[in-house]
Amino acid sequence: MKVSVLQENLAQGLGIVSRAVSSRSTLPVLANILVKTEDGRLRLSATNLEIGITCWIGAKIEEEGSTTVPSRTFSDLVGTLPNAQVDMSLNTQSQNLNVNSGPSNTDIKCIDSQEFPPMPKPELDGGAEFNVKDLKEIIRQVVFSASTDDARPVLTGVLLVIEGNKLIMAAADGFRLSVREAELSQAVEAPIRAIIPARALMELARVAGDGDEIVTMLLPEGRGQVIFRMKNIELSSQLIEGNFPEYQQIIPGSHTTRTVVSTNAFLKACKQAEIFAREGSHIARVNVIPGNEMQPGTIEISAQSEETGSSEVFVDATIEGDAVLIAFNVRYLREALDVISTPNVALETTAAAAPGVLRPLSEEGFLHVIMPMHLGN
Amino acid sequence: MNIIILPDEVASQIAAGEVVERPASVVKELIENSIDAGASEINISILEAGKKLIEISDNGEGIERTQLITALARHATSKLRDANDLYKISTLGFRGEALASIASVSRFSITSRTKNSLEGGRVIVEGGTGGKLEDIGTTVGTLIRVEDLFYNVPARLKFLKKDPTEKRQIDAFVTRYAMAYPEIRFRLTQDNKITFQTSGNGDKREILSSLYNPEIAKQMLVVDSGFDQISIKGFISPTNLTRSNRQAITFFVNGRWVQDTALTSALIQAYRTMLMVGRYPMAVIFLEVPPELVDVNIHPAKSEVRFMDQGAIFRGVQGAVKRALLAFTPVPELQNQLRWSSMAETINSEFDQGIKPPPIGTLDDDSAKSVDGPIDKGDQNPLPVEGVPLLRQIGQVGASFIVAEGPDGLYLVDQHAAHERILFEKFMKMQKDKIPSQALLDPITITLSAEESNLLEDNLPVMGKLGFVIESFGPKTFRILSMPSLLIGSDPERALRVVIEDFEEDEKPFHDQIEAKIIARVCKRSAVKAGKILSTDEQKALLLDLEACSSPRTCPHGRPTMIHLSINLLERQFGRKGAR
Repeated sequence: MKVSVLQENLAQGLGIVSRAVSSRSTLPVLANILVKTEDGRLRLSATNLEIGITCWIGAKIEEEGSTTVPSRTFSDLVGTLPNAQVDMSLNTQSQNLNVNSGPSNTDIKCIDSQEFPPMPKPELDGGAEFNVKDLKEIIRQVVFSASTDDARPVLTGVLLVIEGNKLIMAAADGFRLSVREAELSQAVEAPIRAIIPARALMELARVAGDGDEIVTMLLPEGRGQVIFRMKNIELSSQLIEGNFPEYQQIIPGSHTTRTVVSTNAFLKACKQAEIFAREGSHIARVNVIPGNEMQPGTIEISAQSEETGSSEVFVDATIEGDAVLIAFNVRYLREALDVISTPNVALETTAAAAPGVLRPLSEEGFLHVIMPMHLGN
Repeated sequence: MNIIILPDEVASQIAAGEVVERPASVVKELIENSIDAGASEINISILEAGKKLIEISDNGEGIERTQLITALARHATSKLRDANDLYKISTLGFRGEALASIASVSRFSITSRTKNSLEGGRVIVEGGTGGKLEDIGTTVGTLIRVEDLFYNVPARLKFLKKDPTEKRQIDAFVTRYAMAYPEIRFRLTQDNKITFQTSGNGDKREILSSLYNPEIAKQMLVVDSGFDQISIKGFISPTNLTRSNRQAITFFVNGRWVQDTALTSALIQAYRTMLMVGRYPMAVIFLEVPPELVDVNIHPAKSEVRFMDQGAIFRGVQGAVKRALLAFTPVPELQNQLRWSSMAETINSEFDQGIKPPPIGTLDDDSAKSVDGPIDKGDQNPLPVEGVPLLRQIGQVGASFIVAEGPDGLYLVDQHAAHERILFEKFMKMQKDKIPSQALLDPITITLSAEESNLLEDNLPVMGKLGFVIESFGPKTFRILSMPSLLIGSDPERALRVVIEDFEEDEKPFHDQIEAKIIARVCKRSAVKAGKILSTDEQKALLLDLEACSSPRTCPHGRPTMIHLSINLLERQFGRKGAR
């Protein structure tokens, strides 16, 4: 293999794929990045057997070939190279990659690409298409609700359902649920239902650019895999097997109190409460006090800790229904409010022991269900 | 059906079965008699594990020549006059059965003289029959020879354990009585070899040395406490000294050795969270209770007792032991003679095998000396009572241990064990108020076995207190509605199953202990694991939290949270001190 690339492109490409490099693996080759000439470009790939990321960069190819380069060494080296052309040539016999740029000349010991796990090559037909920017926003709005505990693997994933041109993403960790619905510009032929690891979606949001690029999602049949393909980047991930909880049943059908507040004010109040609720259990009380002719309604968000002290914040609110005192894990409230972009949000509650629902005002198809907390008796 | 009254001989053999079970019980009965007779010297001589001969001589007050025959009759005693006396027994014996029982199953002779008469008497009995008084010259006191025990009860003889076992039993009895009566000189001779003797100078620790070994005796902690008219004294092992069974736990109630499982478990409970699973402390505890508050007349062998206020006694024992422990729990220190290179192994194997310092490579020939004496006088200073010293975080080793500096050297803290302890205490503290519980998005249904579901059913209120809201959902099926918010991040079903297993295992002497046990289990799983890299801030926070704990030196399962390398030890290792 003999290729020339621009240092800038190489550094960027390595930055993207190195996210999938397995940091601790018994398989040494997984700590390496596959470098391969492919269709007139240079392909960089990394995988930890769950998530694989591939990036193609423009290259001048003199001789086809491939090898795997230790990720850390390669990235560190390329980072120090001048912003100029980088020439690389592989000694197939010794698997030494010579990297030459201006005055610097380096040899890196590599591992034969034969040992690298094969990465799937999907057909590009029949996938669902998204606008990258929209998809990133949808991911951001649900992915934080996914569980980080492996005890129930299903919950570490995000449920993705596409029927016609309707997309639903849902994530839950056993105590809260985030559901986001959206419309696709193009309908899919066959309905899709899959559970994608939350981590894969987070990586996708991270590696995808900010432009108006199109991302194609493919679920090759029988492979238990999902592939997101963009112009120069491809991310593949294993799907999670299992049944996602019937989330529609979890969403309360009715409520007795509806509180509309400024998203920002509510978020600030929660952040303040969290300072004091951090010790122990993150418990914060939300006291919904309806107004009357004389004065407007308010909600009081309070938290206390034996060690640090206590805090109360009052936020003006428009309240329909009865007064209610309910306790939540304030982190759940904060994380949900953080991803709501409308100026106002509605909190729907029924009783202290019933779930609370957050809905952005004037934005359909987006909600968070948060289970309450209570103090034992 | 033809009913007859059993001949005396048969009746006494039946009664003997209860009192005289094995050679050791003969020894026990006879020693108790000697002690009751006010002896200051007791010699015991055994041949063939007591099957051939048990001979006990004392210098007690002796028995009047004329009463020797009466003494051998059943229900003959000098220790009791009427039934009322039964409720305030202050002597070891009282039933008046021992001599008769022993005499009925052996070739028996008793020789005795009181200081008031010039002449002693002797009675020889075979299998309970015979018995003629003859005059004989002897010293003041009593000498009893029991030969060919069980010669007329072959069944009993057949069921005796092997000689070494029987010998050990005898040793156990004698040493324990020596312990309880340090002012009496005991001498035990087995097969013409002296196996045990005490000087009778009243020093209990000296007897401890022969009971265990001098090294252990030196480390035993003193318990000295009491309430009302009850006194609780004795010795207990520090937490780093354990056995794999309960055999080394001994209780004396009013000078009588008793085997009471409830007392034993009260003691073990006091060590709770400080010992590793499956390890038990060593202890010798003397309880002095007013005779009217304790009933010893439960079993002919008198090894069981019943207290008027069982709970108070248990709490007393537990409290006394706990206080002694808290004051003295040491931070385990690395042995001087260990090689630095083998330190990692040491730590591992200490964790694996419990306490014994493993025999890993020694530094040089000098080590032989350092093994003998205490490691270093400086190191033996009692550690600051309770708690840990202020620690300055230095760094983390192997993503598992935090290195910290204290006022007197280096401390290695096991991050998992330390965090476990911190969580445990936080949870326990919270439990005093209220444990916040978090409702589940979709309740989890679990099915249990019949036994498990009964256990859970019984303990639903306890579970509620811990933050588990569970409802019955059909036969043997339950729904978890809420779980303790501290456990967020772990699987509710698994957490609950762990708890139920605990219910099963629990010996249940104290119901409220279940909660602590559950919490300890739960904390183990929630604590930060070894192998996790902690940021500097996290390490500092961990040390700070640990300092705030009330028993920071062990995790709730009894593993040490830290190892101490004193400046002294370091100086020695670098050859700056104690020239080599």
